[in-house]
Amino acid sequence: MKGLIKPAFVLTVVLIVLLEVGARVFFSQDVSGRFDYGYHPDAGFAEKADGTVQLFRAGGRRFHPQSFPKERPDGAFRVFVIGDSIPRGPSFKGAYVWQLGDELRKNQVPAEALNLAVAGFGVRRCRLVLNKAIQYNPSLIILHVNHTNEYEDEREWRRSQEFKGWHPRHWLMKLFIFRRVYEMKLERVFWKWVPGRIRQRHALSDADAELAASLDDEKTRQWRQRVEEVTRESVDLARRRHIPILLVTQCRLESNPAHSPRLSDHDLDALGEYLAGPGVYHLSMKQVFARVPEFESHFADTGHLKKSGHHLLAQAIFQKLQEEGLLTGLTVQEGRATEAN
Amino acid sequence: MSFITWQYFLFLPLIFALYWQLPPRGRLPLLLAASYFFYACWDVRFLALVLTTTVIDYICGLSLGGRKLGRGWVLLLALLPAAWLGVSHLVFSFWGWGQVSPTLIAVAGALGLAFFAAHEGVWAWGGDKRNKGLLILSVGFCLAILGFFKYFNFFVDSAQNLLRFTGLQANFVLLHIILPVGISFYTFQSLGYVIDVYRGTSPACADFLTFATFDAFFPQMVSGPIERGKNLIPQLEDLGIFHNSYIHDGLRLILVGLFKKVFVADNCAVIASYAFDPQTALNGPWAILGVVAFAFQIYGDFSGYTDIARGSAKMLGIDLMENFRFPYFARNPSDFWSRWHISLSTWFRDYLYIPLGGNRGARWDTIRNLAVTMLLAGLWHGANWIFVIWGAFHGALLILYRFAPFLSGFMAKEEKLWWRRAAAVILMFLLTLVGWAIFRSASLAQLGSWFAALGNWQAGDLSWQKPSLWLLFHIAPLLLLQTITWKHGDEAKLEHLPWPARGLLYTALLLLVVSSSEQDQEFIYFQF
Repeated sequence: MKGLIKPAFVLTVVLIVLLEVGARVFFSQDVSGRFDYGYHPDAGFAEKADGTVQLFRAGGRRFHPQSFPKERPDGAFRVFVIGDSIPRGPSFKGAYVWQLGDELRKNQVPAEALNLAVAGFGVRRCRLVLNKAIQYNPSLIILHVNHTNEYEDEREWRRSQEFKGWHPRHWLMKLFIFRRVYEMKLERVFWKWVPGRIRQRHALSDADAELAASLDDEKTRQWRQRVEEVTRESVDLARRRHIPILLVTQCRLESNPAHSPRLSDHDLDALGEYLAGPGVYHLSMKQVFARVPEFESHFADTGHLKKSGHHLLAQAIFQKLQEEGLLTGLTVQEGRATEAN
Repeated sequence: MSFITWQYFLFLPLIFALYWQLPPRGRLPLLLAASYFFYACWDVRFLALVLTTTVIDYICGLSLGGRKLGRGWVLLLALLPAAWLGVSHLVFSFWGWGQVSPTLIAVAGALGLAFFAAHEGVWAWGGDKRNKGLLILSVGFCLAILGFFKYFNFFVDSAQNLLRFTGLQANFVLLHIILPVGISFYTFQSLGYVIDVYRGTSPACADFLTFATFDAFFPQMVSGPIERGKNLIPQLEDLGIFHNSYIHDGLRLILVGLFKKVFVADNCAVIASYAFDPQTALNGPWAILGVVAFAFQIYGDFSGYTDIARGSAKMLGIDLMENFRFPYFARNPSDFWSRWHISLSTWFRDYLYIPLGGNRGARWDTIRNLAVTMLLAGLWHGANWIFVIWGAFHGALLILYRFAPFLSGFMAKEEKLWWRRAAAVILMFLLTLVGWAIFRSASLAQLGSWFAALGNWQAGDLSWQKPSLWLLFHIAPLLLLQTITWKHGDEAKLEHLPWPARGLLYTALLLLVVSSSEQDQEFIYFQF
């Protein structure tokens, strides 16, 4: 065995160990839950010593970086928006959540509007975000209802479960430092330097599998059923905690060369109406946009909105809140969500 | 089983541990069993093809060496591939894993009997005629198998098109043939051995186990290096004692190989795949970006594979030949081919170019020899006219370099002035890029679009600046590594560095590999 271990090898091991310790000490928060793929109960929420809560990208939850006081200031109207890429918006300030906050404050409502939406999140992962968000005393939850992300929810669940096991495929990533390096390259190099169009083509197999699943009638029926069940559970949770909840049922722009563009809610509006009741409100995106001339001009693609579309949605939600009397009696005070960076 | 799968990273340490625990006489059977298992992980049926090549070349090699096996043994060995398929059929049926077609078993049996009859017939001839007959028998059978599995549809399709072009109608049947992994590599390795025995430059291998391991040695079986019998067989015959350096050198080679494959090649592939996607509307910057990306993808992919192969073999105490030596620093076409896929280029040189006459004859003879060699080297890469054109392009470069005074002067290897050397390297790299554009194009039409795009410098709908940063990010560490190793002539040689520098370098390489570890891409050369 003499001479088997060389100083260079020892140095490599020592460096990896030191980096690992460093990663666990300094970056544990960023990396924790990375391989839970959004199923970690707390990832993305950091409670700071100064009494604020920071939202950051972690654990598969790529929140827009924001911060807010852990304890809701007296009289503040705290709105959490939970959903997928549609409420997340083209940018932090381009999303309707920011515009809604501005609109509320313009109307003397001391609002904190926080965008907790994450691209690709289906109903199950939104539910986990809701579980966490509800701990911070929201005045209102806006929950987007959609069924196009169930494939991703399922896939990421499988990945998270696989990673928890001791399959050799995941051994490398059990080290924090390796996870951190992987994550850094993915977010700071790959996403920044490789255009989305190339990244999409690169992930062809995933896209193919998603398309195949979405064409399977049985699969889509199961997804709809899950959306119904989990949304009902979310509504029940908000009700039990006496937190008003606004369900925004999403719609899609469907175009056919033979016809003019039309909006389809894929029966989500019926679900929203069915669940509506005391403390539970419903807004149909289809109805919001159907009454706008040339509504298709507000869509960036079949589902996502342009900034103008977000503006329309912010207006509609504000109007809905007024109509439902949710803003009655609120007065101007300090308190506003701030963008962390 | 691919080198970059988790299975391999369990397989190799297991084989390593068992191998050095066993007494020397037990190691060869272990290597053979491990090699067959490694190959069977792709497709159990194709192991019958490996066995066929092994049996034919073992028997012919032995006969060429004047030590003919008894008839019973020849028959038994000749029927070994059919027996393997038969056993697979029974096992598959029993476990419900599918079926090995009985027709396939019958064809393998018939092929074995045909070989047996031919071999016995040729043996009866005696003298020099017998040796030639045995060589033709071995080369003919092996090339027939390679030709059927790799080129059958290509030739049938080409013949059909030719007939159509001349106004004749023909409807030949195209078969659905799966290309067995690594068939070109192990067939050429085996053929090289038989030719060496025929020439008397290598002794015949008497031990079947040794020869079978030589033919199927798992680190290099599916993508080379294409070994020579005289290098590998003596090492397999004398599996020595363990040295610490085996594990040091082996792990270092594997780390460098993983870096080239996982960090360099797979990330360059992101850009290359987009640029060479038929749906992409190319412009000048993207055409260049795409081909540069592919140049580093194919180099990182193949030389990375070679390094992992060499590292794996080294851990078992076996030295494989070098296959790449800084090819993009070549100063002329001849220099390039002495640095790129060395085991293949020297194979073609030794077994085709020189037997054709090499450069010993008149100018036109040399031109013919170069052209034939490079066309066939191109065709070796795949059953597609694109590869033939690629071979022709490199053949033309070699001919021009040899006979155009300006080019041979400018690109001379002995040039003393550094700037002229640098200019020659740049020119050669640009020419290599044109070659890669041909190689990567899926069709002649796509190749035409690539050349047309070079004249279009209008801004496209996708910016090229950030993707070029991505490319640079992955190429720069490779070039840095090559700068460190350049003076020592081996791409993975790092022993000259002080140990702290080596430690830092290993850590950096490891982190770079890990940073790209979720992209799972197959090695390009598996398809050849």
